[in-house]
Amino acid sequence: MRNHKFVEFDDSPWTPLTTRISESRVALVTTAGVHLKSEASYNMRDPAGDPTFRSIPGDADPADLKITHNYYDHTDADRDINVVFPMERLRDLARAGEIGSVASRHFSFMGHILPPHIHTLMHRTAPEVARLLRQDAVDLVLLTPA
Amino acid sequence: MGLIQRVIEASGLPTLSITLSRGISQKVKPPRALFTGFPLGHPFGFPNQHFRQLQLLRLMLHHLQRIDTPGTIVVEKLLKDADPDHACVLCEDQGITDHSPSASPGDNRPTRP
Repeated sequence: MRNHKFVEFDDSPWTPLTTRISESRVALVTTAGVHLKSEASYNMRDPAGDPTFRSIPGDADPADLKITHNYYDHTDADRDINVVFPMERLRDLARAGEIGSVASRHFSFMGHILPPHIHTLMHRTAPEVARLLRQDAVDLVLLTPA
Repeated sequence: MGLIQRVIEASGLPTLSITLSRGISQKVKPPRALFTGFPLGHPFGFPNQHFRQLQLLRLMLHHLQRIDTPGTIVVEKLLKDADPDHACVLCEDQGITDHSPSASPGDNRPTRP
């Protein structure tokens, strides 16, 4: 999403944090194109991108993940997925009691999304991810780009 | 990514993102963002830098609690001369549990919208 005119807004939505971090269930949402190897890759043939998402179990093994994203150099992230998607460190924080728990699943997009797929993203797939996060009783969400 | 963040926040969940481009974030206006100056493809530093990955997650959680103005982009300059191996004191492998604005070198003041 780096070479097109960005959607602009005058203000920001806002939801106050009402839980303590140490008691919060935390989910990650990334646009780094991470997905389970067992699932379909993102569509790289469409120059306008792919607005679909994948879920990633909170306890996923890094060896079961891969990155499909042709718009950034993920050589280093291929060596250590936590460079773009720090799921193992989030588990460390949960074990240390710094957060309440890790969500049962995280979510991933492939962040190169141009019109007409922006409409699909904003009106279908991103709202669906938001619904699933609430269904999972997540308290706060950390988003990571690439 | 800011668009996705806006949708999640609007649905009733507090969010904070790492941004790799302040210029984009100033347009898309995610509710809370953290800029650290790491290059594309490296929002959490370089491979196997566990301390860096923990540090950035803790910074995200810290600022998620602290930011009280929608559209704030916090700047935490963790790199010196863009060299991740010669970074500020926050980059030492000591955790940042006691991180506070006064202990943070550089310009970490929130950018108000």
